[in-house]
Amino acid sequence: MEVNWLHLVPLLPLAGAALCGLAGKWLPKAWLYSAALVSVLLSFCIGVFAFAHLGEGNFQFHELAFSWFSVGTLHVDLGLTFDKLSGTLVLVITGVGFLIHLYSVAYIDEDPGYWRYFAYLNLFVAAMLTLVLGDNLVAMFVGWEGVGLCSYLLIGFWFDDDAKAYAGRKAFVVNRIGDFGFLIGVFVLFTATGSVNFAQINAAPLTLGIASAAAALLFLGACGKSAQLPLYIWLPDAMAGPTPVSALIHAATMVTAGVYMVARLSHVYVSAPGVMAVVAVVGALTALWGALIGTAQSDIKKVLAYSTVSQLGFMFIGVGVGAFFAGTMHLVTHAFFKACLFLGAGAVIHGLHGEQDLARMGGLRRYMPHTRATFAIATVAITGVLPLSGFFSKDEILAQAAHTKAFDFLTLTPQGTSHLTWLGPGIYVLGTLTAGITSFYMWRCYLLTFEGEFRGGKDVHPHESPWLMTAPLWILAILSVVALVLGLPGHWAEALHLEAFNWQHFSEGLFSPVRGGEPAEGNVLFGFGIAWAVALAGGALAWSLYQPGRELTGDERFARTFPRMRRAFVDKLYVDEFYGWLFLRPLWNLARGLWRVVDATLIDGLFVNGTAQLVSGVGSLARRFQNGNVQRYAAVTALGVAGLVYVFLVRG
Amino acid sequence: MEFFHQYQPQHYLVLAAILFALGAAGVVLRRNAIIVLMSVELMLNAVNLTFLTFSRFPLVQSAPMQGGILQGHAAVFFVIATAAAEAAVGLAILIAVFRSRTSINVDEFDSLKS
Repeated sequence: MEVNWLHLVPLLPLAGAALCGLAGKWLPKAWLYSAALVSVLLSFCIGVFAFAHLGEGNFQFHELAFSWFSVGTLHVDLGLTFDKLSGTLVLVITGVGFLIHLYSVAYIDEDPGYWRYFAYLNLFVAAMLTLVLGDNLVAMFVGWEGVGLCSYLLIGFWFDDDAKAYAGRKAFVVNRIGDFGFLIGVFVLFTATGSVNFAQINAAPLTLGIASAAAALLFLGACGKSAQLPLYIWLPDAMAGPTPVSALIHAATMVTAGVYMVARLSHVYVSAPGVMAVVAVVGALTALWGALIGTAQSDIKKVLAYSTVSQLGFMFIGVGVGAFFAGTMHLVTHAFFKACLFLGAGAVIHGLHGEQDLARMGGLRRYMPHTRATFAIATVAITGVLPLSGFFSKDEILAQAAHTKAFDFLTLTPQGTSHLTWLGPGIYVLGTLTAGITSFYMWRCYLLTFEGEFRGGKDVHPHESPWLMTAPLWILAILSVVALVLGLPGHWAEALHLEAFNWQHFSEGLFSPVRGGEPAEGNVLFGFGIAWAVALAGGALAWSLYQPGRELTGDERFARTFPRMRRAFVDKLYVDEFYGWLFLRPLWNLARGLWRVVDATLIDGLFVNGTAQLVSGVGSLARRFQNGNVQRYAAVTALGVAGLVYVFLVRG
Repeated sequence: MEFFHQYQPQHYLVLAAILFALGAAGVVLRRNAIIVLMSVELMLNAVNLTFLTFSRFPLVQSAPMQGGILQGHAAVFFVIATAAAEAAVGLAILIAVFRSRTSINVDEFDSLKS
């Protein structure tokens, strides 16, 4: 259905950003906060209104905002599409975004850059909304780059700290690598289909080669934005930014853009089963990788950052095995509980006056009951203990992985048997293992932060945060419980009359079916049992190591039992060092060599200073002739005449 | 006049060349400005001698006449007049320079250097 109000959704936060950024320094604080908050809230209300009017026979709202440009056969319109997928994301972005704005009012109030902060935050929301609402790849790319810019600006928000500015730069540069792949993927799709519009791309027949090339290149972009192997290294460093930013951008919304993109282009991906296998494997490995590093981090934000990397890996398993609904469902539930966890960590850091080290926390349950309760709920949700949202979404992904037929198409032999059948179960095993590790490191983080005795200095007085910060925490905690209705297995939902909320049912028709066909129905209870057992085992291991009273000795015991393994986890599996050795140092050396030889010697030395020296040398020679002595002039003239006489008279 | 007839024009020209070279050397090498002026006179007179030589022994015998042609003599008168004027102006300049610099050593005059 064509409408004319959809552009307001991204435009309102953009107007808020313009107001905060241009006039924020001179506006009274209350006005600035209300402008920033109300613009996002209004977007949220429009989103809710639109969402409520989606239904039978009206599967999407569409607005052609304006015809953007037209070059040759390329026509790009700035069109916005609000369907169930982008609509859900709009609700998540503006809803969680509003809560985080609210939280930020208390969090950033004392910082002199508060107006800059809100301008960036609003700009981010606008860019992210453009990303999800855009009805073509170019509009999506604009949002894609916009969120990257805001991410850079907010990571380096305290730019007078060199390390933080460096972290921002790192995020930007690593994302460039992915964006380069994304752009070429767009070009490939345009060349193949003659359009950049999602609706037309998803209706075009694609050959295996074209689809594989486009899907692989676009996935490179997703790897950068969504922090997958091998480009995840920027995300942990991105924790240099303010904590609410980590919650909004680097956990709930921006980093899930890659998942959204893959789901949006499901047709391209199901046409390229080989790439889907790559996506799923990369997701599984990233999930395991992030979880392993997360077990040994001592910075509370770093633990959550690696946890985000790991959970994003789960989402990519979901979309990689063709269960687009499961991947996007995990996206939504993860947005709730991970935002809650990050905001909880922010409240802890705020209450401890900037302390981030788990070693100097502990016992905070007495000082911060609300933070502790919400953090615990979100931890239960992420670790996948039965009735909470994380359990259903993660388990749906793993169940789909175990029975997937997405990779069969490539390897169908004349006999009808397929060769890649082991890949799905393999990913299931990896994912289940990761779920156990997730449970371990999240409970470790919780126990070290909130249980036992306070290990901080005597002069640190932990305190609970103001209601502006605890209210969003509670709302997000409740959401991360309530979101379980999205993932209830079909017949349970029917029994409880909640099938309208069931995500699989809800998102029907949004995604292209995989070519191998629907996965076989497994035994739901059996899968649930395994998942629960694994989650409990991880939690029990964490309890045995870090239970109140043992506290930090848990790390020491871990280190004693597996010294080299823990060392490797603490040092983040040496990936940064490896990249430094493989890319950075050669590049540095090359740059240094070029600087010394080409710049300093050739350009500066030969061309710039050389020219000057030539001129001055010639000048100092010529200066001797103009010594003001007329006799010398006369002598030279006489010699010249003598020379002429010689030439013309004697030799001529 | 018999005395002169034994000499060919090249003798006069070589003498003029020697005088001119001596004058030029004096202009270039001497430090005393008065001597320099005198050397200039010497060069001018070497030129005069050349004029007269070619006047007495014309290269082209266009109109045969006793004692050669007279144009060279006319030029020599102009040169003598100019040389007198030059000497007067030169000496006046020298006096002015001497008043400001208390020296007539040409090595010390380098205001042309800018």
